[in-house]
Amino acid sequence: GAVAVQLAAVASAEAATVSRIEVRGNRRVDADTIRTQVGISPGESFSNADLDEAVKRLFATGLFADVSITQSGGALIVTVDEYAIVNQVLFQGNKKIKDQSLVQSIQLQPRRAFSNQLMEADAEAIREAYRRIGRDDATVTARVQELDDGRVNVIYEVQEGDRTKIATINFVGNNAFGDRRLRDVISTKQSNIFSFLLRNDIYDENRLRADEEALRRFYFNRGYADFRVISSTADLTDNEYTVTFTIDEGERYRFGDVAIESTIPGVNTDALRSELRTRSGSVYSAEDVEDTIVGLTESVAGLGYAFAQVTPRGNRDFANRTISVVYAIDEGPRAYIERIEIRGNNRTRDYVIRREFDISEGDAFNQVLVQRAKRRLDRLNFFQTVNITTVPGSEPDQVVLVVDVVEKSTGEFSIGAGYTTGASSSSGGGFSVEGSITERNFLGRGQFIRVAAAGGEDSRDYTFSFTEPYFLGRRISAGFDIFRNTRTFSNSAGDKIYDREATGGTVRFGLPINEALTAQFAYNYTQEEYDRDSDVENSDLSQAIQDALDQGTWRKSSVSGSLIYNTIDDMQNPREGIHATLTTEIAGLGGDAKWAKFTARANMYQMLSEELDLVGLLTVGGGHIVGFEDDLRVFDHFNSSDRIIRGFKYNGIGPYQLVDPTDPDSNRDYLGGTTYFHATAEAQFPLPVVPESFGIRGAVFADAATLYGSDVSGAEGTGMEWRASVGASLIWASPFGPLRVDYAEPVVKESTDRIQHWNFGISTRF
Amino acid sequence: CNTASTLNTRETFTQGYVIDEQALELVPVGSSREQVLLALGTPSTTATFDSEVFYYISQKRVRNAAFMKPKLVDQQVLAVYFGDDQRVTQVAHYGMQDGKLFDFVTRTTPTGGKDQNFLTQMIAGVARGGPPSNPLGAR
Amino acid sequence: CNAEKDLDLSTYVEQTEPADALYNQGLANLNAGRMKEAIAKFEAVDRQHPYSEFARKALLMNTFANYRQGQYQEAINNGKRYVTLYPTSEDAAYAQYLIGLSHFRQIREVTQDQRDARLTIEAMQQVVDRWPDSEYVPDAQEKIRFARDQLAGKEMQIGRYYLERREYIAAIRRFRGVVENHSDTRHVEEALARLVEAYYAMGVASEAQTAAAVLGHNYPESQWYKDSYALLQSGGLEPRENTGSWISRAASLITGS
Repeated sequence: GAVAVQLAAVASAEAATVSRIEVRGNRRVDADTIRTQVGISPGESFSNADLDEAVKRLFATGLFADVSITQSGGALIVTVDEYAIVNQVLFQGNKKIKDQSLVQSIQLQPRRAFSNQLMEADAEAIREAYRRIGRDDATVTARVQELDDGRVNVIYEVQEGDRTKIATINFVGNNAFGDRRLRDVISTKQSNIFSFLLRNDIYDENRLRADEEALRRFYFNRGYADFRVISSTADLTDNEYTVTFTIDEGERYRFGDVAIESTIPGVNTDALRSELRTRSGSVYSAEDVEDTIVGLTESVAGLGYAFAQVTPRGNRDFANRTISVVYAIDEGPRAYIERIEIRGNNRTRDYVIRREFDISEGDAFNQVLVQRAKRRLDRLNFFQTVNITTVPGSEPDQVVLVVDVVEKSTGEFSIGAGYTTGASSSSGGGFSVEGSITERNFLGRGQFIRVAAAGGEDSRDYTFSFTEPYFLGRRISAGFDIFRNTRTFSNSAGDKIYDREATGGTVRFGLPINEALTAQFAYNYTQEEYDRDSDVENSDLSQAIQDALDQGTWRKSSVSGSLIYNTIDDMQNPREGIHATLTTEIAGLGGDAKWAKFTARANMYQMLSEELDLVGLLTVGGGHIVGFEDDLRVFDHFNSSDRIIRGFKYNGIGPYQLVDPTDPDSNRDYLGGTTYFHATAEAQFPLPVVPESFGIRGAVFADAATLYGSDVSGAEGTGMEWRASVGASLIWASPFGPLRVDYAEPVVKESTDRIQHWNFGISTRF
Repeated sequence: CNTASTLNTRETFTQGYVIDEQALELVPVGSSREQVLLALGTPSTTATFDSEVFYYISQKRVRNAAFMKPKLVDQQVLAVYFGDDQRVTQVAHYGMQDGKLFDFVTRTTPTGGKDQNFLTQMIAGVARGGPPSNPLGAR
Repeated sequence: CNAEKDLDLSTYVEQTEPADALYNQGLANLNAGRMKEAIAKFEAVDRQHPYSEFARKALLMNTFANYRQGQYQEAINNGKRYVTLYPTSEDAAYAQYLIGLSHFRQIREVTQDQRDARLTIEAMQQVVDRWPDSEYVPDAQEKIRFARDQLAGKEMQIGRYYLERREYIAAIRRFRGVVENHSDTRHVEEALARLVEAYYAMGVASEAQTAAAVLGHNYPESQWYKDSYALLQSGGLEPRENTGSWISRAASLITGS
């Protein structure tokens, strides 16, 4: 409504008084309420300015289309024309988006003034909400239902239509990498039967921008410094998008000569060459340049030049397609951190966040250390978002670091189920169910606490574990676990032989040496009780197993130390990097077990071919156990499993003893061996026919292993015979959890080995 | 990546004010407060009650392995005293050897405020965080 | 999946009850302690008879009921709506006071974000400034003192964190912050004592002595002063100000402010 402000000419002197205030035109709003808003009471003097203020205040309430104040005789007359008031906002026909979330995206709320433009704007907001979840052809009609005394209901009718799919995504101008490989790089996926689950086939404008950035980064890291995305278009025909990326790859560049220059006296550039990640001659990669800058800044800062800045200067040689890079080190602006403000930590304690900073208040501002703190805070997995911004401080050379965190719930009640054919030391395989309560940020102190119970066909497992990540104020993650595991063992014919009940605990300390290397020390105490199944006669058991069972309870008290070296790029789907562990365990501090055990295992991932996205994996490992005084117990020997060699049953190879030594083809009990070595070569590749958005990959592998040596008298097959197998497997990072199916065919085996071709394991936690 | 860079685990941190020798010559006795601010920058801290003294504090720490506490290896305190005429009267230097090693008082002044115990945290976590994430992908 | 059943519009007719009946039912529920029903009744008044005199009273009671129920965010929203809609009514002070209380109840432990302490100060300060003669001013001031003490406590906690790691610059700045901005809270004694410890550990004896002198001058019997005195004595020093006119200015800083 037009704002009509009539202000009667006040005849008498500037300040006037009235005897009463009359309110007209108000149908529903109470006269007293209007009088309090006007704020002028009878007998009190007021000026034009007061009247202006009163009108402004009345408009500010948003209730009136029009307000006018006139003065006649001794009375002040306030005439108002009220808006209708919204009583209820109702949604009809919306299934995919619930009323509650629609209400948040619209402006018309109960008790607010109604206006047509607001209603239209809200209808558009609802259409936009449906577009965001991939339903571009949803239609929204809005209408009003009149109620008595100036109130209205607002009703939005929604026809949702069906999901807008992405038919195809194709690339124009790519010859270095195939369409399949590029489709794997971007996050928008073509629709397939699983997309209703993963919802990654929704066309969204800024997701497309992000995909362009992903393509740029992908090409920059593989030598294509001139790469450009010319256009990315999406045209909609009968509810299906076809997305086309037109790109210009440009030439592939290698590094020319690489040099370091410094304008800061006292910085000797040769010593810094070890930080270079970019070798002249190797393929140009933006990521290597960035890593080099971080490396150089860190080491120069370490030398005491806290304000040093490293800026790369590249110049291209178009003829022989090389880029030579010069890293210029010069004195950056002198800025100090005045304060570190931490905000949003409603549960996490302040020191849990502050201790991740290697930089503190009063220090020189150093971007690399701030990035390192941000990476550490993200890795804590306590926060949805962590962003660190700088705000000018009280002096020109002072800066305030503001750390805004948004916490997420770190507690989990989770129940899981799984099926594995391959048995392990603690469970016999088959179906298993697991329930657990985990809290990663216990009482906001960053401590980890977990209680879990699991049951399989023939095993029960209870564990409790606690970890304090900052023991004694140092970055030592100290913790303890208590476990209790009962398992029934059966012989190859499947009938029950004996039960084992193991209870124990460990106290462990993890000490990170540097970003990649971690040391772990632990004390373990376990007590095992064996009781033989009642109707099992000696004749059914080999001599070694009988002796071990007759020992009754068995205590192990040991200390162990291990080194873990881990440079894997992405633990869920590794493509580059090494993960190696070396462990020694010495049992004999009291208890019955007296032996020393050494185990080692190294997995090396290497991207073999970028075009085919072929990843090579080489695994080597070994272990040896030697008893001190008396001979090793049968149960302390190593047993073979699918982690050592596939194609054979658990504990299916290696030294064995006949149940009845006189009859060569009586039952055999496998005793395990004192020493084992194994090696695996595997190549993983995307399956050619299956669309890559399923996330299924194939692999072919060759395993080789040997398990030999035994302290048990009368054991046979103790020679160092090698076994080998080849096979193929399916790896699927499914929404239900990681799943792997292996088929292995033993090519070199002993006649006494037990074969198991299929190995299948899926475990989901939900 | 070359193994040399991964094995050397020693990290040195220079913390606090970065002392720069030439700038020191620019502030002889008698120079004005503005000159000092211009040459040396904002002091790490000033005298507690009247800023008649500028303190520039710098520390050097070494950490041999990621899990260890950084050990203080060097500490320089540069104190610039001003007379009543706002001119530098004296520049003093406190080194590492002046520092004293003793245990700080562990008692603290009590404070209030609501603190969550474990149960309320779990329930609040579940209530606020909504149901545990649905494994079948986003709804 | 469980789509909400859509309201059948034709049969949807909202029966509106008279405002006073609804309001009194709300009050009855409130006094009987049934907060949920009371809130529902008050909201019904506000929805069916918006901007009437009963709606105003209902809004106030709704704020109070939500506060009692522990729904602090709703209490704050309703309180704010009341104060903006009816700034000059006599209950506006009470509504603002309720907003302050709702923030006050959410103040967290010092190691966590003190946003609510700051909001308490802001809200209660409005009670004191806009309605100076209202009966809620004394308690508002009391809550402001507690919130300020909480903010000082947080500064001290961070200061101690840095002192333990022997990062003296950060520690000294935090403790100075408390001495300068929060000198009316209980923490100022400990802040002075920590300054003595920090300067003494760094070897700047004169500053340590000054801080101890100010602590002794203002809080002679405080246990903190005894600790600082003992510390200085162990190094053969005793608290004295390093220049003549000092103590009067320093002392006035504490007592005067």
